[in-house]
Amino acid sequence: MGVVLGYVATLGVYFCVYNIFAFGLNIQFGYAGILDFTVITFMAMGGYMAGVAALGPSQPGSGIYYILGLSLPWPVALLVGAAAAGALGYLVGLIALRRLRSDYLAIVTLAAGSIVLGIVSNSNSLFDGSEGLVGVPQPMNGVLKLTPNAYTVFFLGLCAVIMVICWLVANRIYRSPLGRTMRAIREDLDVAEAYGKRTFRIRMTAMVIGCVIVGIGGVLTIWFVTALAPAGWGTSETFVVWAALIVGGRGNNLGAVVGSFLVAVLFNEATRFIPAISSLPNLIPEVRNMSIGALVILTLWFRPQGVVAERKARFFEVPLRTGSLEPVPMVPAPATGSGAAQ
Amino acid sequence: MSEKNEILEVRDLRRSFGGVQALRGCSFGVRRGTITALIGPNGAGKTTLVDAVAGARRPQSGRVVFDGHDITGLPCHKVALSGLIRTFQISREYPAMTVLENLMVSPQRQSGERLSTVLLRPSRFRAEERQHLVRAVEVLAEFGLYEKRNDYARDLSGGQKRLLELARAVMADPRLLVLDEPMAGINPALVDRLAEHIVRLRDERGTTFLMVEHNLDVVERLCDEVVVMAVGQTLATGTMAELRANAEVVAAYLTGGVPADVRAQG
Ligand SMILES: Nc1ncnc2c1ncn2[C@@H]1O[C@H](COP(=O)(O)OP(=O)(O)OP(=O)(O)O)[C@@H](O)[C@H]1O
Ligand SMILES: [Mg+2]
Repeated sequence: MGVVLGYVATLGVYFCVYNIFAFGLNIQFGYAGILDFTVITFMAMGGYMAGVAALGPSQPGSGIYYILGLSLPWPVALLVGAAAAGALGYLVGLIALRRLRSDYLAIVTLAAGSIVLGIVSNSNSLFDGSEGLVGVPQPMNGVLKLTPNAYTVFFLGLCAVIMVICWLVANRIYRSPLGRTMRAIREDLDVAEAYGKRTFRIRMTAMVIGCVIVGIGGVLTIWFVTALAPAGWGTSETFVVWAALIVGGRGNNLGAVVGSFLVAVLFNEATRFIPAISSLPNLIPEVRNMSIGALVILTLWFRPQGVVAERKARFFEVPLRTGSLEPVPMVPAPATGSGAAQ
Repeated sequence: MSEKNEILEVRDLRRSFGGVQALRGCSFGVRRGTITALIGPNGAGKTTLVDAVAGARRPQSGRVVFDGHDITGLPCHKVALSGLIRTFQISREYPAMTVLENLMVSPQRQSGERLSTVLLRPSRFRAEERQHLVRAVEVLAEFGLYEKRNDYARDLSGGQKRLLELARAVMADPRLLVLDEPMAGINPALVDRLAEHIVRLRDERGTTFLMVEHNLDVVERLCDEVVVMAVGQTLATGTMAELRANAEVVAAYLTGGVPADVRAQG
């Protein structure tokens, strides 16, 4: 019983974490049209920085080297991780968003991801190179003294709360004038610029807030598995997040949720039960990626807007004076005004 | 022409694309409260001029003075914020947004465009949003697009997109509206309606217009002043009647001919 519960809770944690990644990417791509092809780099940055903020100082004799080691409490570590991901997003945005149009921008994000991966893998003193961080403390695990399965259930609760907060934030941005202007920039950057919108700044806002949210997902990831190494955040993970958003429906946070469930949970987990063939150890991950790829192609072919399409904006109805096309004055005009307008 | 009365002054603007000299010394003024036409054959440099005035392309030399401020080389959004809005030769609505939303984007300096306000003080922009909404509905009604308010802009017809382009510009409350061929590709009845809208906006809101237009009947009916361009230069300015008497203008406009001095240069 406990095992099943633990398994389901584990799935739930992955679901929440992928939801968070998809919300972050949705703000960048679904709202503002930024092709961020290195989502997972920001997840890693969030995770690593939260890890080194929470871990104790690196012990010289242990052979494990990393920066900081501040032994900070977990809520502070969460903030550190989120802020670090946002800061990296800002740096990438400085290069990618300044003058570049979407296709070049995508290439810059890819390049930035490779650079970060290269630095992190090869620098032993940063996050212990290709070995990665291990033994990252889990929030409240020392205090609660739960069995592993019970702790997973508790952790699921924590993830769910954070996921819902991210969802609310993302939705609030979507419905605000800021979100509307982001979408206008997505639709036509030059026109938005011609209407006085500071497109660079607004796209940067989308980039950074998206990275912060992805970074929060990264913090939850490193907490859950208590370790993070470069092998765990390859390009194929970025692809899973993109697939989730495309399949679920870009521009719609509910779509992000549906997509995460379909792609990250169902597809990822279903392939786990395919019996492994010992002579082909890579077969299952390959099958997984191929089937996700096929799902993306089918979606783009048959339902390009995704399972849940972007919602049409609805405003509350403003009564229009019937029988006349004369404008309703915004401020009550003096009585002479209405006749003179004709 | 009194200097003070000019809302826009363009002085000796030059811009080339590689070997093509699209603007080779453009100078003219637009008087406040007028509808000024900019005419000239295809390839005369009218769109390039609009781009240069609005900050979409940097001129290589020359000056643009808007309402007493030198706006030469300012980025596009700053020009827009100073009260000069331009439209595009090809309609460029925001396709996957509704007609109403297309208008709601336009108001400038919306407090709800700041992340801190959105996250921490949403009540601050709600009242403002409501005002914009009331006005957007009003403008849509004026332009006969009220019924279409919840349709995606991409689903409008070509003519309706033209109306939307103008309605959206009006929502930005410009003092000078620069229209690049607002009537291209629409039927005569709609041309008349657009013309009425332009006159109404000038009379009611005091908006000044500079419009690129190929239809000389419309220009004659609508415009107080006409600027003629050919091969990157302003040939002449004046009323339509004055220009009809100008043989050089007639030659340039009807035949696309090159004025003698330009031919000599090169
Ligand atoms: N981006 C560009 N690169 C190279 N040449 C350009 C560019 N934009 C415009 N030109 C050239 O500059 C000249 C002026 O073009 P412009 O678009 O300003 O003409 P126009 O007067 O608006 O013509 P139309 O009436 O056909 O719209 C043309 O010869 C054109 O080929
Ligand atoms: Mg043109």
